[in-house]
Amino acid sequence: MSLLQLDQATIRFGGLVAVNAVTFKLEKGDLFGLIGPNGAGKTTCFNIITGVYKPTSGEISFNGKVISGTPANKIANLGIARTFQNIRLFKSLSVLENVVVGGFLRHKTPLFSALSYLPSAIKETESLKAEAMELLKVVNLDHVANVRSADLSYGMQRRLEIARAMATQPKLLLLDEPAAGMNPMEKEELNVMVRKIRDEHGMTVLLIEHDMRFVMSLCERIVVLDHGEEIAHGPPAEIRNDPKVIAAYLGEAV
Amino acid sequence: MKFWGVRFGSIAAAVLGALLLQGVAGHFGDFIVHLVVLAGLYVTLAVSLNLINGITGQFSIGHAAFYQVGAYSAGYLATRFHPKFHGPETIWLVIVMAAGALGACIAGLIVGLPSLRLKGDYLAIVTLGFGEIIRIVVQNQDALGASYGFTVAPRIQIVSVVWLLAILCIAVCRNLLKSAHGLTFLAVREDEVASSAMGVNVTRTKVTAFIIGSAFAGAAGALYAHAQAFISPSLFTMDVSFIIVTMVVLGGTGSITGSAVAAVILFYLPEKMRDLSEIQNSKILGFSIGLILVIVFIRQMMEKYHGPKATKGWIITGGVVGGVVISYILAAILHAIPALQGVTEGSKLRMVVFAVTLIVLMLLRPQGIFAHHEFSLSWVAKLFGKKDVPRVEVSA
Repeated sequence: MSLLQLDQATIRFGGLVAVNAVTFKLEKGDLFGLIGPNGAGKTTCFNIITGVYKPTSGEISFNGKVISGTPANKIANLGIARTFQNIRLFKSLSVLENVVVGGFLRHKTPLFSALSYLPSAIKETESLKAEAMELLKVVNLDHVANVRSADLSYGMQRRLEIARAMATQPKLLLLDEPAAGMNPMEKEELNVMVRKIRDEHGMTVLLIEHDMRFVMSLCERIVVLDHGEEIAHGPPAEIRNDPKVIAAYLGEAV
Repeated sequence: MKFWGVRFGSIAAAVLGALLLQGVAGHFGDFIVHLVVLAGLYVTLAVSLNLINGITGQFSIGHAAFYQVGAYSAGYLATRFHPKFHGPETIWLVIVMAAGALGACIAGLIVGLPSLRLKGDYLAIVTLGFGEIIRIVVQNQDALGASYGFTVAPRIQIVSVVWLLAILCIAVCRNLLKSAHGLTFLAVREDEVASSAMGVNVTRTKVTAFIIGSAFAGAAGALYAHAQAFISPSLFTMDVSFIIVTMVVLGGTGSITGSAVAAVILFYLPEKMRDLSEIQNSKILGFSIGLILVIVFIRQMMEKYHGPKATKGWIITGGVVGGVVISYILAAILHAIPALQGVTEGSKLRMVVFAVTLIVLMLLRPQGIFAHHEFSLSWVAKLFGKKDVPRVEVSA
């Protein structure tokens, strides 16, 4: 049984078919890349997997369970977490608090005990904060734990988004352009970090990225989308030499 | 065990404080008691609306409706059952508060579930609409006294009960913000899409905030019904909703301390103005011009002066003093004009001064009195120039 399976997933916005009959499978432990030119439907693909949109037709299943049409917060509870292309941090909260919100879906104390500040709620908040601190160490942000997240640099904000998503302890982590806006050195660090997330934290990773060198060196399998359709599928070496992919990116020879 | 020691200690302090306030207010007679009661109710209203508007970020402007539901629930209970009740008044107040809170809770759920799907301006319009619907429905029910309202017997106003409700409301909001649960409320305010991607049930969070906020407004309404001994729909018009919103914004949206302080100030100011004696027209004009000059000066200083903070403070203080002096001189000169030699009754200027105060505050401190800060000991220390814990340099 595959971890994530898209079966003929399609979504239409009026006359536009943003994602057209996309079918691919992710196995547990994959480091999977989703690439394509601008407007190919990559982020829309993420949005239908994470429940932001409901696919018009087709089916998405996670761990053998159909999840298309399930609300976003339930999908997060099932074990899919994501980051956003246009960073969506909780701006006025501190770095640590952002990650605590990510871990909150594992909370057990009822709202009442928080409202009356019972020891159980305090303890839980403390332990969530301790967990969040550990994750901040993974993404090298522990030294800015109490800074307002909006005050971080771009690269740090991207890493914080990853930490926040990891805090939900997902089985599958979706990264939407994690390297965008990063300098070469930061990209190199990110490469190591993503590998570590897969190897040490046991999360399957699906990522969208425009930096070809980054994707080719990191991902083990890649799906290429163009105009909402899947045009290639395979390991990086194959993708690099696929004439259809070259045509999509560079245009066809006249 | 230290935890429970602190917990019981603070509860005891709250009760003692409320009783002390009651004793002091009682000393000054019935009118002052009534004012202190109303001030406490406004604190509850502002802090509970802050939970919805400031903390959860759902701009609701129909809070008076829940206040009204609470008041009418209590009024109805008092008319039907108080004659048969033989316990102490405090117990009766607790009963009607619970009933008012429950009634407002249900109203909050009914209003909140459909309307909280909307955002921003749209939500504001819908809450305003629902608020008016509730008021107008009541206004047309003969059983509820229609637009004449009805008398709530007996008149009960107990300062300590009112202020304990306010303290409870503040404590609940503060506790929420201290826990991980509270962070999800703030997260919903910051970004709904990201919140739901993190597994937060956004609709439930918003409706929960709405219900808790409404419940406190309802409890306050119940106490109001007994304090006024009379309720009618005209006591719960849009104006009341807007005053509460103003309190929240003026205090600094999201700040519990700010809401509470602004509630007291905005309630006290127009009441105090009632005692104003006659004022010369020339003085009114002179001081208006002086005020404008001072505001322009301060705003220019805030934008263009980048020197040390202390010097800036002194220059601004100097500007204010100068403004007062100029105002007096202007008033004296203007007094020479025959048309300006009349006098105006001070109490007529009540709402004018109220409005001017709001405008001045919003011009000089648009983020609200407390901005996003809360009152705490470390904050006070910082205010008096003590260095805060060293901040970490932010650099990638």
